[in-house]
Amino acid sequence: MRKVRIDLSGFFTNRGLQPPGTTGDYGFNIWSNTFPAEELPPAGTVADVAGVPFSFPPDAATGDNIRCRGQVIALPAGDWDWIYLIGAAERRTEDQVELRYRDGSVRPAWLRMSDFWPETPVRFGEPLAFRTRSMRYPRHTHQNHAPALWQQRIGIAEPGNLSAVRLPDNPAMHVFALTLVADEEARCAR
Amino acid sequence: MRVEPAPAPFWRHDLTHCLHTTAGALLAARGLDPLETLGAGWGFRFVPGEVRREEYYFPGHDEDLFAGLAPYHPVSSRWHRPADADQGWQQVRDALANGVSVAVAADNFHLPFRPAYRDVHTNHLMAIEGFDDETGEVFVNDPVPPSFRGTIPLTALMAARDSGNPIAHDRDLFFTANPIGNRWLEVTIGADVPEVDEAFVARVVGSNAAGWLDGTTGPVLTGLAGLRHFLDAAVEGFAEHPESVDEVFVVGGPMLAVAGLHADFLDRAGVRFGDVRLRELGRAVDRVAHHWSALRIAAATAREDRVAAVPGLRQRTAALLGDQEAVLQRMSLVAA
Repeated sequence: MRKVRIDLSGFFTNRGLQPPGTTGDYGFNIWSNTFPAEELPPAGTVADVAGVPFSFPPDAATGDNIRCRGQVIALPAGDWDWIYLIGAAERRTEDQVELRYRDGSVRPAWLRMSDFWPETPVRFGEPLAFRTRSMRYPRHTHQNHAPALWQQRIGIAEPGNLSAVRLPDNPAMHVFALTLVADEEARCAR
Repeated sequence: MRVEPAPAPFWRHDLTHCLHTTAGALLAARGLDPLETLGAGWGFRFVPGEVRREEYYFPGHDEDLFAGLAPYHPVSSRWHRPADADQGWQQVRDALANGVSVAVAADNFHLPFRPAYRDVHTNHLMAIEGFDDETGEVFVNDPVPPSFRGTIPLTALMAARDSGNPIAHDRDLFFTANPIGNRWLEVTIGADVPEVDEAFVARVVGSNAAGWLDGTTGPVLTGLAGLRHFLDAAVEGFAEHPESVDEVFVVGGPMLAVAGLHADFLDRAGVRFGDVRLRELGRAVDRVAHHWSALRIAAATAREDRVAAVPGLRQRTAALLGDQEAVLQRMSLVAA
Protein backbone atom coordinates (compact mmCIF):
# COMPACT_ATOMS: atom_id res chain seq x y z
CA MET A 1 0.00 0.00 0.00
CA ARG A 2 1.47 3.34 -1.04
CA LYS A 3 0.66 6.51 0.85
CA VAL A 4 1.71 9.98 -0.21
CA ARG A 5 1.10 13.04 1.93
CA ILE A 6 0.25 16.15 -0.08
CA ASP A 7 1.52 19.57 0.90
CA LEU A 8 -1.54 21.82 1.12
CA SER A 9 0.22 24.84 2.59
CA GLY A 10 -0.15 26.83 -0.61
CA PHE A 11 -3.92 26.49 -0.41
CA PHE A 12 -4.57 27.30 3.22
CA THR A 13 -6.94 30.22 3.63
CA ASN A 14 -8.26 29.84 7.16
CA ARG A 15 -6.70 29.72 10.64
CA GLY A 16 -8.50 27.19 12.80
CA LEU A 17 -5.72 25.92 15.09
CA GLN A 18 -4.85 28.49 17.71
CA PRO A 19 -1.97 28.30 20.21
CA PRO A 20 -2.70 29.49 23.75
CA GLY A 21 -2.34 33.15 24.52
CA THR A 22 -2.52 34.25 20.91
CA THR A 23 -4.75 36.74 19.22
CA GLY A 24 -5.04 37.75 15.62
CA ASP A 25 -6.71 36.59 12.47
CA TYR A 26 -7.87 33.25 13.83
CA GLY A 27 -11.34 31.87 13.26
CA PHE A 28 -12.25 28.39 12.08
CA ASN A 29 -15.94 29.12 11.81
CA ILE A 30 -17.92 32.27 11.16
CA TRP A 31 -18.07 32.91 14.92
CA SER A 32 -14.23 32.83 15.15
CA ASN A 33 -14.07 29.70 17.27
CA THR A 34 -10.84 27.71 16.99
CA PHE A 35 -9.31 24.41 18.03
CA PRO A 36 -6.70 24.71 20.82
CA ALA A 37 -3.47 23.88 19.01
CA GLU A 38 -1.79 22.54 22.15
CA GLU A 39 -4.35 19.71 22.30
CA LEU A 40 -3.57 18.56 18.76
CA PRO A 41 -0.47 17.07 17.10
CA PRO A 42 2.42 19.54 16.92
CA ALA A 43 2.30 21.81 13.89
CA GLY A 44 4.18 20.47 10.90
CA THR A 45 4.48 16.89 12.16
CA VAL A 46 3.17 13.67 10.69
CA ALA A 47 0.04 12.45 12.41
CA ASP A 48 -1.38 8.95 11.99
CA VAL A 49 -5.15 8.67 11.87
CA ALA A 50 -6.71 5.23 11.52
CA GLY A 51 -3.60 3.92 9.79
CA VAL A 52 -3.17 6.81 7.38
CA PRO A 53 -0.34 9.33 7.84
CA PHE A 54 -1.15 13.00 7.39
CA SER A 55 1.00 16.11 7.31
CA PHE A 56 -0.47 18.06 10.17
CA PRO A 57 -0.56 21.72 9.14
CA PRO A 58 2.22 24.08 10.14
CA ASP A 59 1.53 27.09 12.33
CA ALA A 60 1.58 29.75 9.64
CA ALA A 61 0.05 33.19 9.39
CA THR A 62 -1.34 32.25 6.00
CA GLY A 63 -3.50 29.53 7.51
CA ASP A 64 -3.75 25.90 8.50
CA ASN A 65 -6.77 24.69 6.58
CA ILE A 66 -8.60 25.19 3.31
CA ARG A 67 -12.05 26.68 3.42
CA CYS A 68 -13.34 24.89 0.32
CA ARG A 69 -14.02 27.25 -2.55
CA GLY A 70 -13.28 25.10 -5.57
CA GLN A 71 -9.50 24.99 -5.18
CA VAL A 72 -7.73 22.69 -7.65
CA ILE A 73 -5.01 20.65 -5.95
CA ALA A 74 -2.46 19.06 -8.23
CA LEU A 75 -1.67 15.45 -7.39
CA PRO A 76 1.44 13.40 -8.14
CA ALA A 77 1.15 10.84 -10.92
CA GLY A 78 -0.19 7.52 -9.77
CA ASP A 79 -3.05 5.11 -9.95
CA TRP A 80 -4.57 6.12 -6.64
CA ASP A 81 -7.48 4.38 -4.97
CA TRP A 82 -8.35 6.76 -2.16
CA ILE A 83 -8.06 10.39 -1.23
CA TYR A 84 -7.98 10.66 2.54
CA LEU A 85 -8.64 13.95 4.28
CA ILE A 86 -8.66 15.46 7.72
CA GLY A 87 -11.59 17.83 7.77
CA ALA A 88 -14.65 19.15 9.50
CA ALA A 89 -17.63 21.24 8.51
CA GLU A 90 -19.63 24.10 9.95
CA ARG A 91 -22.78 21.98 10.16
CA ARG A 92 -22.57 18.70 8.31
CA THR A 93 -22.69 18.87 4.56
CA GLU A 94 -21.94 16.94 1.40
CA ASP A 95 -20.77 17.93 -2.03
CA GLN A 96 -19.00 16.62 -5.07
CA VAL A 97 -15.32 16.91 -5.73
CA GLU A 98 -14.06 16.80 -9.27
CA LEU A 99 -11.43 14.16 -10.04
CA ARG A 100 -9.26 15.24 -12.93
CA TYR A 101 -7.29 12.66 -14.90
CA ARG A 102 -4.16 13.13 -16.98
CA ASP A 103 -6.00 12.13 -20.13
CA GLY A 104 -8.24 15.15 -19.62
CA SER A 105 -11.28 13.33 -18.37
CA VAL A 106 -13.18 14.47 -15.31
CA ARG A 107 -15.23 12.42 -12.86
CA PRO A 108 -17.30 13.55 -9.87
CA ALA A 109 -17.04 11.89 -6.48
CA TRP A 110 -18.81 12.58 -3.19
CA LEU A 111 -17.21 14.20 -0.20
CA ARG A 112 -19.25 14.03 2.97
CA MET A 113 -18.12 15.89 6.03
CA SER A 114 -19.45 15.84 9.59
CA ASP A 115 -19.81 18.82 11.87
CA PHE A 116 -16.96 20.04 14.08
CA TRP A 117 -19.32 21.41 16.74
CA PRO A 118 -19.12 19.90 20.24
CA GLU A 119 -21.73 17.33 21.28
CA THR A 120 -22.53 16.65 17.64
CA PRO A 121 -22.28 13.04 16.47
CA VAL A 122 -20.55 11.93 13.32
CA ARG A 123 -23.05 11.73 10.48
CA PHE A 124 -21.22 10.00 7.66
CA GLY A 125 -19.35 7.31 9.54
CA GLU A 126 -15.97 9.00 9.41
CA PRO A 127 -13.39 7.92 11.97
CA LEU A 128 -12.71 10.53 14.62
CA ALA A 129 -9.36 12.09 13.87
CA PHE A 130 -9.04 14.38 16.87
CA ARG A 131 -11.26 15.78 19.58
CA THR A 132 -9.97 18.50 21.83
CA ARG A 133 -11.22 18.98 25.37
CA SER A 134 -11.84 22.69 24.95
CA MET A 135 -12.72 25.21 22.27
CA ARG A 136 -11.38 28.70 21.84
CA TYR A 137 -13.47 31.83 21.63
CA PRO A 138 -11.95 35.19 20.74
CA ARG A 139 -11.60 36.21 24.37
CA HIS A 140 -11.51 32.94 26.28
CA THR A 141 -11.09 29.20 26.04
CA HIS A 142 -14.19 27.25 27.01
CA GLN A 143 -13.35 24.06 28.88
CA ASN A 144 -15.29 20.80 28.48
CA HIS A 145 -16.57 21.98 25.13
CA ALA A 146 -15.04 19.53 22.72
CA PRO A 147 -14.96 20.09 18.94
CA ALA A 148 -13.89 17.38 16.51
CA LEU A 149 -11.92 16.81 13.34
CA TRP A 150 -12.86 13.80 11.24
CA GLN A 151 -11.13 11.60 8.67
CA GLN A 152 -12.91 11.56 5.33
CA ARG A 153 -12.08 9.41 2.33
CA ILE A 154 -13.03 9.74 -1.29
CA GLY A 155 -13.02 6.60 -3.38
CA ILE A 156 -11.47 6.70 -6.84
CA ALA A 157 -14.03 4.40 -8.39
CA GLU A 158 -12.66 4.68 -11.92
CA PRO A 159 -8.99 3.72 -12.01
CA GLY A 160 -6.69 6.02 -13.90
CA ASN A 161 -3.88 8.43 -13.59
CA LEU A 162 -5.18 11.34 -11.55
CA SER A 163 -3.73 14.77 -12.10
CA ALA A 164 -5.74 16.87 -9.67
CA VAL A 165 -8.75 17.09 -7.41
CA ARG A 166 -11.02 20.10 -7.40
CA LEU A 167 -12.56 20.70 -4.00
CA PRO A 168 -16.23 21.71 -3.82
CA ASP A 169 -17.23 25.34 -3.74
CA ASN A 170 -18.68 24.77 -0.30
CA PRO A 171 -17.15 27.10 2.31
CA ALA A 172 -18.80 25.17 5.13
CA MET A 173 -16.16 22.47 4.47
CA HIS A 174 -12.64 22.74 5.86
CA VAL A 175 -9.69 20.53 4.86
CA PHE A 176 -6.56 20.38 7.03
CA ALA A 177 -4.62 17.54 5.41
CA LEU A 178 -4.74 15.24 2.40
CA THR A 179 -3.06 11.90 1.76
CA LEU A 180 -3.27 9.72 -1.34
CA VAL A 181 -3.44 5.96 -0.96
CA ALA A 182 -2.90 3.29 -3.56
CA ASP A 183 -4.07 -0.10 -2.35
CA GLU A 184 -2.86 -2.50 -5.02
CA GLU A 185 -3.72 -5.55 -2.98
CA ALA A 186 -7.35 -4.58 -2.54
CA ARG A 187 -7.52 -3.60 -6.21
CA CYS A 188 -6.39 -7.05 -7.28
CA ALA A 189 -9.23 -8.51 -5.28
CA ARG A 190 -11.84 -6.76 -7.39
CA MET B 1 -42.24 27.61 46.90
CA ARG B 2 -40.20 25.18 44.87
CA VAL B 3 -41.17 23.71 41.50
CA GLU B 4 -38.85 21.01 40.20
CA PRO B 5 -38.73 19.84 36.59
CA ALA B 6 -40.18 16.47 35.82
CA PRO B 7 -37.75 13.97 34.33
CA ALA B 8 -37.77 14.32 30.57
CA PRO B 9 -35.39 13.19 27.83
CA PHE B 10 -32.71 15.64 26.78
CA TRP B 11 -33.24 16.18 23.07
CA ARG B 12 -31.34 17.90 20.30
CA HIS B 13 -31.12 17.36 16.56
CA ASP B 14 -27.74 18.24 15.11
CA LEU B 15 -29.04 20.63 12.43
CA THR B 16 -31.27 22.60 14.75
CA HIS B 17 -30.64 25.51 17.04
CA CYS B 18 -32.29 26.96 20.11
CA LEU B 19 -35.80 27.29 18.66
CA HIS B 20 -36.15 23.60 17.94
CA THR B 21 -34.21 22.42 21.00
CA THR B 22 -36.40 24.53 23.25
CA ALA B 23 -39.51 23.30 21.48
CA GLY B 24 -38.23 19.76 21.88
CA ALA B 25 -37.72 20.27 25.60
CA LEU B 26 -41.22 21.66 26.11
CA LEU B 27 -42.91 19.05 23.92
CA ALA B 28 -41.02 16.15 25.48
CA ALA B 29 -42.02 17.37 28.94
CA ARG B 30 -45.66 17.11 27.84
CA GLY B 31 -45.22 13.62 26.41
CA LEU B 32 -44.77 14.41 22.71
CA ASP B 33 -41.93 12.96 20.67
CA PRO B 34 -39.84 15.93 19.43
CA LEU B 35 -38.75 14.39 16.14
CA GLU B 36 -42.22 13.16 15.25
CA THR B 37 -43.78 16.48 16.18
CA LEU B 38 -41.19 18.90 14.82
CA GLY B 39 -40.08 16.78 11.86
CA ALA B 40 -43.41 16.14 10.18
CA GLY B 41 -43.82 19.47 8.47
CA TRP B 42 -41.56 20.60 5.67
CA GLY B 43 -42.28 23.67 3.62
CA PHE B 44 -41.41 27.28 2.98
CA ARG B 45 -43.30 30.37 4.09
CA PHE B 46 -41.65 33.77 4.17
CA VAL B 47 -43.04 37.24 4.65
CA PRO B 48 -40.69 39.70 2.92
CA GLY B 49 -39.30 42.25 5.32
CA GLU B 50 -40.02 40.34 8.51
CA VAL B 51 -36.57 38.83 9.15
CA ARG B 52 -35.75 39.40 12.80
CA ARG B 53 -32.45 39.31 14.62
CA GLU B 54 -33.38 36.37 16.82
CA GLU B 55 -31.78 32.94 17.05
CA TYR B 56 -35.34 31.60 17.28
CA TYR B 57 -36.66 33.34 14.18
CA PHE B 58 -38.90 31.07 12.12
CA PRO B 59 -39.93 32.46 8.75
CA GLY B 60 -43.60 33.11 8.20
CA HIS B 61 -44.76 32.33 11.73
CA ASP B 62 -44.13 35.35 13.89
CA GLU B 63 -46.87 35.19 16.47
CA ASP B 64 -47.54 31.45 16.61
CA LEU B 65 -44.10 29.92 16.37
CA PHE B 66 -45.10 26.45 17.49
CA ALA B 67 -47.92 26.16 14.97
CA GLY B 68 -45.26 26.75 12.34
CA LEU B 69 -42.93 24.21 13.85
CA ALA B 70 -45.54 21.49 14.23
CA PRO B 71 -48.21 21.99 11.56
CA TYR B 72 -49.63 18.46 11.90
CA HIS B 73 -50.03 18.55 15.66
CA PRO B 74 -52.41 20.50 17.91
CA VAL B 75 -49.60 22.71 19.13
CA SER B 76 -49.59 26.47 19.31
CA SER B 77 -47.80 29.21 21.16
CA ARG B 78 -48.34 32.80 22.16
CA TRP B 79 -45.79 35.47 22.93
CA HIS B 80 -46.18 37.38 26.17
CA ARG B 81 -44.60 40.82 26.32
CA PRO B 82 -44.41 41.92 29.95
CA ALA B 83 -44.03 45.55 30.86
CA ASP B 84 -40.78 45.02 32.76
CA ALA B 85 -38.47 42.45 34.31
CA ASP B 86 -40.50 42.04 37.51
CA GLN B 87 -43.73 41.43 35.64
CA GLY B 88 -41.82 39.18 33.27
CA TRP B 89 -40.66 36.95 36.12
CA GLN B 90 -44.04 37.00 37.86
CA GLN B 91 -45.78 35.77 34.71
CA VAL B 92 -43.24 33.00 34.17
CA ARG B 93 -43.34 32.03 37.83
CA ASP B 94 -47.14 31.79 37.71
CA ALA B 95 -46.98 29.47 34.71
CA LEU B 96 -44.36 27.28 36.36
CA ALA B 97 -46.36 27.20 39.59
CA ASN B 98 -49.27 25.89 37.53
CA GLY B 99 -47.05 23.08 36.30
CA VAL B 100 -46.33 24.45 32.84
CA SER B 101 -42.78 24.92 31.58
CA VAL B 102 -42.24 27.90 29.31
CA ALA B 103 -39.75 29.26 26.81
CA VAL B 104 -38.03 32.56 27.47
CA ALA B 105 -35.98 34.81 25.24
CA ALA B 106 -32.62 35.62 26.85
CA ASP B 107 -29.33 37.32 26.08
CA ASN B 108 -26.47 34.80 26.48
CA PHE B 109 -24.24 37.61 27.70
CA HIS B 110 -25.91 37.28 31.13
CA LEU B 111 -26.17 33.48 31.31
CA PRO B 112 -23.33 31.91 33.32
CA PHE B 113 -23.46 28.54 31.51
CA ARG B 114 -23.17 29.95 27.97
CA PRO B 115 -19.74 30.49 26.39
CA ALA B 116 -20.92 33.97 25.46
CA TYR B 117 -21.21 34.89 29.14
CA ARG B 118 -19.83 38.40 29.70
CA ASP B 119 -18.57 38.34 26.12
CA VAL B 120 -21.14 38.23 23.32
CA HIS B 121 -24.69 39.50 23.13
CA THR B 122 -27.30 37.46 21.30
CA ASN B 123 -31.01 36.75 21.29
CA HIS B 124 -31.41 33.17 22.48
CA LEU B 125 -34.33 30.95 23.50
CA MET B 126 -34.41 28.31 26.24
CA ALA B 127 -36.83 26.43 28.43
CA ILE B 128 -37.48 27.29 32.07
CA GLU B 129 -38.70 24.27 34.00
CA GLY B 130 -38.91 25.32 37.64
CA PHE B 131 -37.81 27.63 40.41
CA ASP B 132 -36.96 27.77 44.09
CA ASP B 133 -38.06 30.90 45.93
CA GLU B 134 -35.90 30.07 48.91
CA THR B 135 -32.59 29.71 47.07
CA GLY B 136 -33.45 32.30 44.42
CA GLU B 137 -32.73 29.89 41.58
CA VAL B 138 -34.48 28.81 38.40
CA PHE B 139 -34.25 25.50 36.54
CA VAL B 140 -33.05 25.89 32.95
CA ASN B 141 -33.10 23.38 30.09
CA ASP B 142 -30.86 24.42 27.19
CA PRO B 143 -29.67 21.57 24.95
CA VAL B 144 -27.64 23.85 22.64
CA PRO B 145 -23.99 22.84 23.17
CA PRO B 146 -22.55 23.22 25.70
CA SER B 147 -25.80 21.69 26.85
CA PHE B 148 -27.03 22.66 30.26
CA ARG B 149 -29.80 21.45 32.48
CA GLY B 150 -29.58 22.88 35.93
CA THR B 151 -30.09 25.95 38.05
CA ILE B 152 -28.94 29.52 37.63
CA PRO B 153 -29.61 32.52 39.87
CA LEU B 154 -32.93 34.21 39.19
CA THR B 155 -31.03 37.50 39.03
CA ALA B 156 -29.03 36.20 36.05
CA LEU B 157 -32.17 35.06 34.27
CA MET B 158 -33.86 38.39 34.86
CA ALA B 159 -30.83 40.28 33.56
CA ALA B 160 -30.71 38.07 30.46
CA ARG B 161 -34.41 38.57 29.79
CA ASP B 162 -34.28 42.31 30.36
CA SER B 163 -31.17 42.88 28.25
CA GLY B 164 -31.06 45.54 25.59
CA ASN B 165 -28.94 43.08 23.57
CA PRO B 166 -26.62 45.79 22.24
CA ILE B 167 -23.91 45.46 19.63
CA ALA B 168 -20.74 45.64 21.73
CA HIS B 169 -18.08 44.39 19.30
CA ASP B 170 -17.45 42.61 16.02
CA ARG B 171 -18.45 39.18 17.26
CA ASP B 172 -22.03 40.25 17.87
CA LEU B 173 -23.11 39.19 14.44
CA PHE B 174 -26.60 38.24 13.39
CA PHE B 175 -28.77 38.31 16.50
CA THR B 176 -27.99 41.54 18.32
CA ALA B 177 -29.45 45.06 18.34
CA ASN B 178 -32.82 43.62 19.23
CA PRO B 179 -33.81 44.12 22.88
CA ILE B 180 -34.98 40.92 24.55
CA GLY B 181 -37.90 42.66 26.28
CA ASN B 182 -38.63 39.89 28.81
CA ARG B 183 -40.63 38.04 26.19
CA TRP B 184 -41.76 34.51 26.93
CA LEU B 185 -43.72 31.86 25.10
CA GLU B 186 -46.77 30.09 26.39
CA VAL B 187 -47.21 26.76 24.63
CA THR B 188 -50.56 25.04 24.29
CA ILE B 189 -51.00 21.41 23.34
CA GLY B 190 -54.44 20.16 22.37
CA ALA B 191 -55.93 16.78 23.08
CA ASP B 192 -55.96 15.28 19.61
CA VAL B 193 -52.34 14.34 19.16
CA PRO B 194 -52.19 12.18 16.03
CA GLU B 195 -50.73 8.74 16.07
CA VAL B 196 -47.73 8.50 13.78
CA ASP B 197 -48.79 5.52 11.72
CA GLU B 198 -48.43 4.79 8.03
CA ALA B 199 -51.57 6.73 7.17
CA PHE B 200 -50.30 9.76 9.05
CA VAL B 201 -46.95 9.66 7.29
CA ALA B 202 -48.62 9.29 3.90
CA ARG B 203 -50.84 12.27 4.68
CA VAL B 204 -47.85 14.31 5.80
CA VAL B 205 -45.87 13.55 2.67
CA GLY B 206 -48.82 14.34 0.44
CA SER B 207 -49.65 17.55 2.23
CA ASN B 208 -46.05 18.72 2.32
CA ALA B 209 -45.72 18.00 -1.39
CA ALA B 210 -48.89 19.97 -2.10
CA GLY B 211 -47.56 22.87 -0.06
CA TRP B 212 -44.36 22.93 -2.05
CA LEU B 213 -46.15 22.65 -5.38
CA ASP B 214 -48.87 25.22 -4.62
CA GLY B 215 -46.40 27.99 -4.01
CA THR B 216 -46.97 31.72 -4.18
CA THR B 217 -44.61 34.56 -5.02
CA GLY B 218 -46.43 37.37 -3.27
CA PRO B 219 -47.19 39.02 -1.02
CA VAL B 220 -46.23 36.01 1.13
CA LEU B 221 -43.70 33.67 -0.45
CA THR B 222 -44.63 30.02 -0.09
CA GLY B 223 -43.69 26.67 -1.54
CA LEU B 224 -41.14 26.03 -4.23
CA ALA B 225 -42.16 29.08 -6.24
CA GLY B 226 -41.76 31.26 -3.18
CA LEU B 227 -38.42 29.71 -2.26
CA ARG B 228 -37.17 30.24 -5.79
CA HIS B 229 -38.33 33.85 -5.66
CA PHE B 230 -36.63 34.39 -2.30
CA LEU B 231 -33.33 32.85 -3.38
CA ASP B 232 -33.26 34.54 -6.78
CA ALA B 233 -33.95 37.92 -5.21
CA ALA B 234 -31.34 37.36 -2.50
CA VAL B 235 -28.64 36.41 -4.98
CA GLU B 236 -29.44 39.07 -7.55
CA GLY B 237 -29.49 41.75 -4.85
CA PHE B 238 -26.59 40.34 -2.89
CA ALA B 239 -23.90 42.63 -4.24
CA GLU B 240 -26.00 45.74 -3.82
CA HIS B 241 -27.68 45.09 -0.46
CA PRO B 242 -25.47 44.42 2.60
CA GLU B 243 -28.48 43.17 4.55
CA SER B 244 -28.70 40.21 2.16
CA VAL B 245 -25.90 38.52 4.12
CA ASP B 246 -27.95 38.47 7.30
CA GLU B 247 -31.16 37.62 5.49
CA VAL B 248 -29.81 34.51 3.78
CA PHE B 249 -28.04 33.36 6.94
CA VAL B 250 -30.94 33.97 9.30
CA VAL B 251 -33.60 32.47 7.02
CA GLY B 252 -31.26 29.62 6.11
CA GLY B 253 -30.97 28.51 9.73
CA PRO B 254 -34.53 27.31 10.19
CA MET B 255 -34.65 26.02 6.62
CA LEU B 256 -31.62 23.85 7.40
CA ALA B 257 -33.16 22.70 10.67
CA VAL B 258 -36.54 21.81 9.21
CA ALA B 259 -35.04 19.91 6.29
CA GLY B 260 -32.75 17.97 8.61
CA LEU B 261 -35.59 17.14 10.98
CA HIS B 262 -37.90 16.06 8.18
CA ALA B 263 -35.18 13.86 6.68
CA ASP B 264 -34.83 12.00 9.97
CA PHE B 265 -38.60 11.91 10.49
CA LEU B 266 -38.91 10.10 7.15
CA ASP B 267 -36.00 7.82 7.87
CA ARG B 268 -37.42 6.80 11.23
CA ALA B 269 -40.82 6.19 9.64
CA GLY B 270 -39.18 4.13 6.92
CA VAL B 271 -37.49 1.96 9.53
CA ARG B 272 -40.65 1.59 11.61
CA PHE B 273 -42.89 0.67 8.70
CA GLY B 274 -40.33 -1.23 6.66
CA ASP B 275 -40.79 1.19 3.76
CA VAL B 276 -37.53 1.81 1.95
CA ARG B 277 -39.13 4.55 -0.15
CA LEU B 278 -39.45 6.69 2.95
CA ARG B 279 -35.81 6.10 3.80
CA GLU B 280 -34.77 7.01 0.25
CA LEU B 281 -36.92 10.10 0.42
CA GLY B 282 -35.39 11.03 3.76
CA ARG B 283 -31.91 10.78 2.31
CA ALA B 284 -32.93 13.00 -0.59
CA VAL B 285 -34.31 15.59 1.84
CA ASP B 286 -31.04 15.42 3.75
CA ARG B 287 -29.24 16.41 0.57
CA VAL B 288 -31.32 19.56 0.44
CA ALA B 289 -30.40 20.24 4.07
CA HIS B 290 -26.73 19.93 3.17
CA HIS B 291 -27.16 22.61 0.51
CA TRP B 292 -28.52 24.90 3.22
CA SER B 293 -25.39 24.24 5.31
CA ALA B 294 -23.28 25.38 2.39
CA LEU B 295 -25.46 28.32 1.44
CA ARG B 296 -25.58 29.80 4.94
CA ILE B 297 -21.81 29.78 5.29
CA ALA B 298 -21.29 31.02 1.74
CA ALA B 299 -23.46 34.03 2.57
CA ALA B 300 -22.00 34.59 6.03
CA THR B 301 -18.42 34.60 4.75
CA ALA B 302 -19.21 37.01 1.92
CA ARG B 303 -19.63 40.13 4.01
CA GLU B 304 -16.29 41.61 2.96
CA ASP B 305 -16.68 40.96 -0.77
CA ARG B 306 -20.26 40.38 -1.74
CA VAL B 307 -19.65 40.88 -5.46
CA ALA B 308 -17.17 38.02 -5.63
CA ALA B 309 -19.61 35.72 -3.83
CA VAL B 310 -22.46 36.06 -6.29
CA PRO B 311 -21.43 33.41 -8.87
CA GLY B 312 -20.96 30.81 -6.15
CA LEU B 313 -24.24 31.71 -4.51
CA ARG B 314 -26.01 31.48 -7.85
CA GLN B 315 -24.56 28.03 -8.45
CA ARG B 316 -25.47 26.87 -4.95
CA THR B 317 -29.04 28.10 -5.05
CA ALA B 318 -29.54 26.51 -8.47
CA ALA B 319 -28.27 23.19 -7.13
CA LEU B 320 -30.47 23.50 -4.04
CA LEU B 321 -33.56 24.22 -6.09
CA GLY B 322 -32.71 21.41 -8.49
CA ASP B 323 -32.44 18.88 -5.68
CA GLN B 324 -35.57 20.33 -4.07
CA GLU B 325 -37.47 19.69 -7.31
CA ALA B 326 -36.12 16.15 -7.49
CA VAL B 327 -37.32 15.55 -3.94
CA LEU B 328 -40.77 16.82 -4.82
CA GLN B 329 -41.02 14.27 -7.59
CA ARG B 330 -40.13 11.54 -5.12
CA MET B 331 -42.65 12.90 -2.61
CA SER B 332 -45.41 12.82 -5.18
CA LEU B 333 -44.60 9.20 -5.98
CA VAL B 334 -44.55 8.20 -2.32
CA ALA B 335 -47.81 10.03 -1.64
CA ALA B 336 -49.56 8.55 -4.69
